[in-house]
Amino acid sequence: MMPLLRVRGLRTSFKTGRTVARAVDDVSFDLLPGETLGIVGESGSGKTVTALSLLRLIQTPPGHIAEESVVEYNGVNLLELPAKELRRVRGAEISMVFQEPTTSLNPVLTVGSQIAETLRAHRVISRRSAAARTVGLLRRVGIPEPEIRTRHYPHQMSGGMQQRVMIAMALACEPKILIADEPTTALDVTIQAQILELLADLKRQLGMAMLLITHDLGVVAGIADRVAVMYGGQIVEEGPTAALFTNPAHPYTEALLRAAPRLDAPTARLPVIPGAVPPATRWPTGCRYTRPCS
Amino acid sequence: MTRLLRGLWLERQARWGLVLVAALCGLAVLAPWIAPYDPAAQLDLAQGQYLAPSTLHPFGTDFYSRDLLSRVLYGARISLSIAFLSVLVSITVGTAVGMTAGLAGGAVDRLLMRGVDAALAVPRVFLLLVVVALWEGVSVTGLIVVLGLTSWFGTSRIVRAEVLSLRQRTYITAARALGIGPRRLALRHLLPNLAAPVIVAATLGIGQIILIEASLSYLGVGVPPPTPSWGSIIQEGQQALAVAPWVATFPGLAIVATVIGFSLLGDGLRDTLDPTTR
Repeated sequence: MMPLLRVRGLRTSFKTGRTVARAVDDVSFDLLPGETLGIVGESGSGKTVTALSLLRLIQTPPGHIAEESVVEYNGVNLLELPAKELRRVRGAEISMVFQEPTTSLNPVLTVGSQIAETLRAHRVISRRSAAARTVGLLRRVGIPEPEIRTRHYPHQMSGGMQQRVMIAMALACEPKILIADEPTTALDVTIQAQILELLADLKRQLGMAMLLITHDLGVVAGIADRVAVMYGGQIVEEGPTAALFTNPAHPYTEALLRAAPRLDAPTARLPVIPGAVPPATRWPTGCRYTRPCS
Repeated sequence: MTRLLRGLWLERQARWGLVLVAALCGLAVLAPWIAPYDPAAQLDLAQGQYLAPSTLHPFGTDFYSRDLLSRVLYGARISLSIAFLSVLVSITVGTAVGMTAGLAGGAVDRLLMRGVDAALAVPRVFLLLVVVALWEGVSVTGLIVVLGLTSWFGTSRIVRAEVLSLRQRTYITAARALGIGPRRLALRHLLPNLAAPVIVAATLGIGQIILIEASLSYLGVGVPPPTPSWGSIIQEGQQALAVAPWVATFPGLAIVATVIGFSLLGDGLRDTLDPTTR
């Protein structure tokens, strides 16, 4: 199958003063139509920068995406696309949901007008029919009384509701790809499950592909078809979810899996991976995973 | 809006500001109905000069035997209208320049902000005197434009700083991620977020403009006579400060009340509109 999104040799670096942080360093992956690819890794591994780089949302300067990097969507390299054409891809073809619903909604606009904004940015549509579609979208993401909710401001809603609004906004133009950057991290556990279920449902209904970025292995195990493990700005291991979970090849993946709590084999004390990811300004040469392998 | 008013009412100082401003605006609007005399009518040039305050003339009369209360009330119309309209000009220009600088960044930002720095370094009254002196016979409309165009520098800096900080918010990145273009982003997503600081700047600006207009009129280059403005009444009363102190005193008190009122209101608005203090 032809991949929907083909990422090759993506390198994103940030220049601060004289030091250069290579946050994403040679990342390559494919996203097939309709599949869910999970990208896991701990803080500082480059997951979010990868996601932002795909749609060129990195502020430049200080950020910089290497010229030879390729992010190909439908055969077009998004990294070389003129700004105007890139805007037609953002939101309409590839959409994104962010980590913190509280900060990713504009506090002074009603949720209805925010969703309508996205519609009006991409389609020739009257104010009235945009408003009508907005109510439909809110209903679709499971918000009760959408006719009333559409006039509410983000601060009048709970975090879970806000994330549903964000999802409605991202899916307003029925994109082919949804990038979800830790969509449930800021929510409590029961709401997390609801949001993940909603994402999986909508993904099925719309037949879109999803790039799910998370540090939560449980989330990935639940809904991803394939998993890529990131460490130190690189993908260290990639494979079908089940295979990767039962038979990790990279010592980091193995350590990560051992550090995750399991319901079927509870232990008194979870093993930890000692130390932290080295700073992106000083990657070790050779294998970047320098923490003690067991 | 009602929530905003209630918030203001709950703060003691802001409440005083609100009451003062509302009262002054009310008096200015109702001047033709409540003023006891025509402000330009010379009632009795022979015996009515410099009459002390009495029940007939609560604020007394001036050199031309005109009723001072009526002149102060009509002066409020002129002084307040000039203040409102020039502040409107100044916040519009200030917001536009500040947003342009903050969003464009780089060379455009540096150029605009160094220009603002230079303009801020020149004392405002001096700047105004030069402009008004070069512009012979300036009308009230001209005065409004000149005042507005010389008082937006501070606002543009506030707006620029706010834009720089707002630009980094996740919801602006989110809007960009969903394909919102730069024009839409600026006008629909950023501008509403600027309302609070701009409203505060405007309220505080009104008090300042009242003072500047009064100083210009006092120096004889502001509102042309016989139109009464508070500044011009004080200027006329100055010559008779020893014999008829009331002529300069009452418009002076009106200026003090207005400036205090708008300052209290501005401070109150800042506290009420700023979400971090709530």
